[in-house]
Amino acid sequence: MIKHVARKEVREIVRDGRMRLLGVIVIILALAALAFGAQQAIRAQEARDNAMERAEKQWEGQGERNPHSAAHYGTHVFAPTSVVTAIDPGVSPYLGRSVEIKAHKRSLASHSEAQDSGGSKRLGSFSVASVFLLLIPLLIIALGYGLWSRERERGTLRQVLSTGVKQSDLFWGKTLALFFVVLILLIQAALIIVGVLWGLGGGDGDTLVRLGLLALGYGVYFGIFAGLTLFASAIARTSRGALVAMIGIWGLFCLVTPRAATEVSGVLQPLPSQAELGRQVAQSLKTGLDGKTDKDVFVEAKVADTLEAEGISEDALEFFADDAEAQRIQTYKDGLMLKFTAEWENAIFDHYIKELDDQVAAQESVMDWVSFLSPYVAMRTLSAAFSGTDVAHHRHFTGYAETWRQGFVDSLNEAFAEKAGAQGWSYRAGPELWKNAPAFEYQPPRPTYGLDVHLLSALALLGWLLLAFVLARWAAGRVKVV
Amino acid sequence: MILQAQGLVKHYGDHVALRGLDLAVDSGEVFCLLGANGAGKTTTIQLFLGFIEPTQGSATIKGLEVRNHALETKKALAYIPENVMLYPNLTGIENLEYFATLAGCEETGEAKLRETLIRAGLPTDAIERPVGNYSKGMRQKVGIAMAIARQAELLLLDEPTSGLDPKASNEFSQLVASLRDEGVAVLMATHDLFRSREVGTRIGIMKRGVLVKEFNASDVSHNELEQIYLEQMTE
Repeated sequence: MIKHVARKEVREIVRDGRMRLLGVIVIILALAALAFGAQQAIRAQEARDNAMERAEKQWEGQGERNPHSAAHYGTHVFAPTSVVTAIDPGVSPYLGRSVEIKAHKRSLASHSEAQDSGGSKRLGSFSVASVFLLLIPLLIIALGYGLWSRERERGTLRQVLSTGVKQSDLFWGKTLALFFVVLILLIQAALIIVGVLWGLGGGDGDTLVRLGLLALGYGVYFGIFAGLTLFASAIARTSRGALVAMIGIWGLFCLVTPRAATEVSGVLQPLPSQAELGRQVAQSLKTGLDGKTDKDVFVEAKVADTLEAEGISEDALEFFADDAEAQRIQTYKDGLMLKFTAEWENAIFDHYIKELDDQVAAQESVMDWVSFLSPYVAMRTLSAAFSGTDVAHHRHFTGYAETWRQGFVDSLNEAFAEKAGAQGWSYRAGPELWKNAPAFEYQPPRPTYGLDVHLLSALALLGWLLLAFVLARWAAGRVKVV
Repeated sequence: MILQAQGLVKHYGDHVALRGLDLAVDSGEVFCLLGANGAGKTTTIQLFLGFIEPTQGSATIKGLEVRNHALETKKALAYIPENVMLYPNLTGIENLEYFATLAGCEETGEAKLRETLIRAGLPTDAIERPVGNYSKGMRQKVGIAMAIARQAELLLLDEPTSGLDPKASNEFSQLVASLRDEGVAVLMATHDLFRSREVGTRIGIMKRGVLVKEFNASDVSHNELEQIYLEQMTE
């Protein structure tokens, strides 16, 4: 019985031309978004490769230089790019994919598209995800708003219910038909997407898992809109009423709530301005996190303690004043100064970046809770998370980059302390040292990392699906003809 | 009795649509309900369809209370309203197949359905055409075909010939008469005195929710029926 109901609904949708029209729209939009996303991904990959090559050449070709000067000269590290970013670029266009590495400075990520494209990027980027998040729900509404209401309006529902068919069979048949039609429309787009990503080199296990998670997430998301559309269609007096109600719900979920939530999270968990953060960091670099400790006093005390622990006294320096050994010890002392200065700075940077990260995480947490008010917010969060382009992935990369920066600067300072000897600051290291600098071997988190971080959004999405299904089923049982 | 109403009362808020209706229709009978608009004819049919519930009294089909056995009682009946509404993008045979399947018919093969539509009087060349451009008479014939396909024991007709041209109306009445002769019970609400005299076995006149007059169709001539009806309406 369910199959017969579904077949009739599919026949109607196919024959009234809606499916053809919507199918063409979906294909055009998906292709356009994918072409745009793929082009962006290819460009990003090329830019990354070129920049990496340039940075490597610059680093290794910098000639002879004091190791600490080399640490000042610095280099750049780059986040790996995945072909999945062609589906959902997430925050990448805004936060950048590379970090400048140098001594005494913790840089934020840079080289974002938003920086390079003026204000237009602020309007949001056109991507497969934006088509899926915003337009496919409209397509589902267009296909499903009349499933019950149009039958009631034209009188066929009276005829149908007079046959003694169970309303639950009608519900399942209509649900199956809507599922089938949406599937047929999307499967073409999905095949094109997978084909293009495969062509871009996305056949690895991680990419397939990410695509699987995205397919699952979007399936649930579309199911929510299908359920709500069936509900509205069953309870609205007219088809027009059902359509208007669903457009209103779509606007509330996809346009109003996300923007309102962004404002609210900004008010609840405000972030410091870049200027304010810079001022605080600069102040703390001078006087410590407690505002009372002078950096030079702290560093000198640490150096003195270390020298004392190693049995090297200031007197010894004077005793060997004109001796090469004295110069060696002075170089060693300078190396310790650099080491403890870096430690001091790292503690300050770590503190402020952790504070900033905590504030950003708190804002994200607010958005995770907002997922319970809007399935769009839940899916937008998960879509970027599954694509590896959310803030959590970005933080994972910048966290590793900072840890690596500290090790990188330490290794150069140690090279200075250990090898400069009597030459002191006039010591020059060569290409051998640059080549042997620690390699930047960043491993992105596993594909399910986004799910761990945004479990609340995933639960909200499942909760929405359950609610939509229960509402649709409940309303179907109460459809009346009189 | 296939269909029976006992003391049926229906209130819509303050408005009383039925005030203790009693009637019974057996196999091979066509009971024609006559009456002005608002007399309660359509309300009576909707009560037997289970679309609304009585305020009081009972409506039974084959001995089963409609309100308690909505699905089982519907399996025994076919319903043809004033306008049989079909799916405009489906063909006649597709519409028939769909409704017959919903009703649980076992014989829904194409040949059988085609034969049924032809028996109901649908032109052969219309069978495979979308019903969106069917005339009202053709749609009513598909409605009759549904009843035939379902092998319904009871037909509920709500002003089925309203708006049909005389030829189509006559064809429709002949089909109802043939089903009657096959033992189908028919309850037909109508304004058409002539057709009710032609096809009916018994006639009831309703006024303000009450069956004020009931008699055998064969006991009156066309003129007498008109006379009785007008008398009841003016009293």
